[in-house]
Amino acid sequence: MNIKLFRIIAVLLATVLTARQTASAHAFLDRAEPKVGAKIAKPPAEIKIWFTQELEPAFSKIQIFDSDGKQLDKKDSHLDSKDRKLLIVGVPKLAAGSYKVSWRVVSADTHRTQGNFKFTIKS
Amino acid sequence: MNRIVPAGVACAAFLAAMALHQKAGAHGFAGDRFFPPTIATDDPFAVDEFAFPTVSYARNRAADGSPGNREIDAGFEFDKEIFPRLALGISDRYTYQDVDHRSSIHGWDNLAVTAKYEILIHPEHEFIVSLGLESDIGGAGARSVGSDTFSTFTPKLYLGKGFGDLPDSVDLFKPFALTAELGQSFPTRADNSNTFQTGFALEYSLPYLEQNVRDTGLPRPFRDLIPLVEFSFETAENRAGGGLTTGTINPGVLYENPYFQLGLEANIPINRRSGSSVGFTIQAWIYLDDIFPRVFGHPLFGE
Repeated sequence: MNIKLFRIIAVLLATVLTARQTASAHAFLDRAEPKVGAKIAKPPAEIKIWFTQELEPAFSKIQIFDSDGKQLDKKDSHLDSKDRKLLIVGVPKLAAGSYKVSWRVVSADTHRTQGNFKFTIKS
Repeated sequence: MNRIVPAGVACAAFLAAMALHQKAGAHGFAGDRFFPPTIATDDPFAVDEFAFPTVSYARNRAADGSPGNREIDAGFEFDKEIFPRLALGISDRYTYQDVDHRSSIHGWDNLAVTAKYEILIHPEHEFIVSLGLESDIGGAGARSVGSDTFSTFTPKLYLGKGFGDLPDSVDLFKPFALTAELGQSFPTRADNSNTFQTGFALEYSLPYLEQNVRDTGLPRPFRDLIPLVEFSFETAENRAGGGLTTGTINPGVLYENPYFQLGLEANIPINRRSGSSVGFTIQAWIYLDDIFPRVFGHPLFGE
C-alpha cells in the first residue's frame, strides 16, 4: 500500500514539474526602482518594476500618484525591449514628497495581479 | 409587514454585496492581498485549489484505560470553481494507527464534500466574506478508524481581512492578515452532540512586506515565507460531552512559490482531551491555475 501511494505521489509530482516547463504563473513584483518604501534624494526619471513572470504589455501598466491623489506619470507604460518582465513608466521631474506607485499587470498566461507601494523623495 | 422588512433589508444587503464584489480570479486575492490556503483551517476563497498531500503525525500516550498509539494521516483536498464565486470541494484522509501492544488499524475517514460561495470582496480593505456548507458523508469511511456511520452537516461562515489599509505610521503591521472560519455542526443521529467550530489564522506575509511596504533586502527563500499561527477549536454544545472544548494551536510557516505552497505546522493540544503530545503537519498546495491555466483558474460555467 505504501509503495503504491509513493508511486502515485511520484507520478503527480513528475506531472507538476513537467507541466511547469510550459506554464506561466501569476506575476508578482520582484524588485523596483526606486525600491519599495525607499527614501531617496535624487528624483527618478522613470519608475521600473521587475516582475516574476513575463507580461502582456497591452494589459499592464504603472501609475504614479502624489499625496493628493493626482496622477503624475507620463501614461507611457511599456515593457523593456529586451526584458518582458520589466515594466517602465516615465515621470516628470518630481518634487520632494511622498508618492504612490500603483501597478496592474497581466502575465503571459492571462493571470491578473495588482499592487502598490510608496516611495519618498527627501527635500 | 414584519417579515417584509427583514427580507427587504436582506435583499438590499445582498445586492450591495454583489455591487461591491470584485472578481477574485484563481488564487485567493482581495485587492493587493494574497491570502494563502492554510493548513488547520479553511481559507475564505472559492477558487481552484488542490492540497496533496497533507501528512500529519501525532503520538498519544495511554490514558483512561485506552492504549497509547502513534497516528499518521495522509489526506487531500480538491476544490473547483463551478460558477463564478461558487466552488465545490472534496477532501478525505487515510489514517494509520499503530496501537501499543495491539495490531495496527488503518482506513479512510469519511469523505467530506464542501460548497463555498464568496458573498463579498472589498478590494480596498482586503476583506472577504464567504458562506459554505460542509457535509461529512456517514458510512463512507472505515469504521475501524472511528469514521462515523451517520452524516454531519456544518454550515460555515468564512472571513478574511488584510491590514494593508492601516496608516503609514504603523506600516510594519500592514503585512498582517486574519482569516476566520465559524461552523455549526448538525449530526444526523440524535444521540451525538452538536458542535460549534471556530478557527482562526493570524498571518504575517513577508511577500506583502517586500512588495507593498518596504524592500528590506531579505533574500530568497526568506522573502517568500509567511509565518502564521492557527487556532482550531470545537465545542460540544449538548448531550454527552456538552460544554467540553477540544482543539489545537498550530504555529508554523508557509513557503510560497509561483506553482506551489509548502507548509509546516506544529499541532499543540489545548488540553488533555485534545491530545497528550505535540504533533506536526506538513502540506503541499499545488496551484493548478498556474500549472494548467487553460483548465483551471476560471469557473466551469459563466465568467
